[in-house]
Amino acid sequence: MIISTERTESDGTATVTLEGRFDAHETADFRRVQDELEADGFETIIVNMTQVEFVDSTALAELVRGMKRARERGGDLILADLSNPVRVILELTRLDSAFQIV
Amino acid sequence: MTSASLDLYHKWSSEPLRQRPKISVIIPAYNEAIRIVPTIGAIAAHVSSFDEPWELIVADDGSTDDTVDLVEGLELPNLLLLRAKQNGGKGKAVRRGVSEARGDIILFADADQSTPIEQFDDLEQQICAGADVAVGSRSASGADVKNKSFMRNVFSKGLSFAVRGLLRLPVTDTQCGFKMFTADAAANLFSLQIIDDFSFDLELLFLAKKQGLRVAEVPVSWTDAPGSKVSAGKVALEFVRDLALIRLNNWRGVYDQENHTLSPQRIRSWETASPEPNPEPSRATI
Repeated sequence: MIISTERTESDGTATVTLEGRFDAHETADFRRVQDELEADGFETIIVNMTQVEFVDSTALAELVRGMKRARERGGDLILADLSNPVRVILELTRLDSAFQIV
Repeated sequence: MTSASLDLYHKWSSEPLRQRPKISVIIPAYNEAIRIVPTIGAIAAHVSSFDEPWELIVADDGSTDDTVDLVEGLELPNLLLLRAKQNGGKGKAVRRGVSEARGDIILFADADQSTPIEQFDDLEQQICAGADVAVGSRSASGADVKNKSFMRNVFSKGLSFAVRGLLRLPVTDTQCGFKMFTADAAANLFSLQIIDDFSFDLELLFLAKKQGLRVAEVPVSWTDAPGSKVSAGKVALEFVRDLALIRLNNWRGVYDQENHTLSPQRIRSWETASPEPNPEPSRATI
């Protein structure tokens, strides 16, 4: 999976763009990116998932963990531009109501 | 994918088919609670986008975790869940799925999405071009393999060598869990096929060759999905045993259609009957 980040200092928001398959092989990298962004003061992280083909259960759990942690710090982890597979997976797991999705 | 594709999924997930499906997708599942729902989601999103009538069959293989409850809880009208009281092997689960499949094209795909469902299109292209069987391949030129462990690579290469030497199959990867059949080919092959464990693919391809069916090997993207329950060493040993068993079965005429007692209808009848005891007429002749 490819992870790229774009930081918007003015509003404290960072966009993390994921591409490919997001599974247990990739969760450590995602967590590292979130840790770095939080350490740099970014409270809200937008995760762009346009190019994500598949999300497994471990990756879903990582997103939930990240969302809870962001909210505890007064921010949020927002999912954006979901690909259809990701949207369907979120619907079937009923996590679509847990996240803010834009 | 577009919002129109998403609409097609929502239609599939809310309205029972009013016609016979064109496509059947079978997922054999044994203790897949942690993976089955995302896999169903990925498959449903992709196959629904074709705007063709299709069905999804989850052939549970006696799972002792929450696999069955999770699948049942989805309440998808075009998903058929086949239960098994006891674990009988992947081959048996796929066979049960095929016996219930109604599509003109039948795909079985592993529950871990190690071969992404998007590869369906490449296999279907081969079927439409005249192949009876299209097999996903991790070793054909053009395949994209990720995260495959060293040991799994070693076993794969050794087994591939053994398969070519002993069975002379025209396929370099017999074990990829992503294979497509025409309905006729599936009915034919699965009526003769008797191996229940992981080597059933090998037997299917041997039977396809024996019957002169057209088999296309299609390079696929493949990721060694985390949490694989496959023990490479154990499977390798079973595989070697089954290589010999297939040769022996063939020599004894077990696979000759005139000697064979199974028909798709008969498979259906005994697979849906009480699993105790499990009648295996062909095994009794071995």
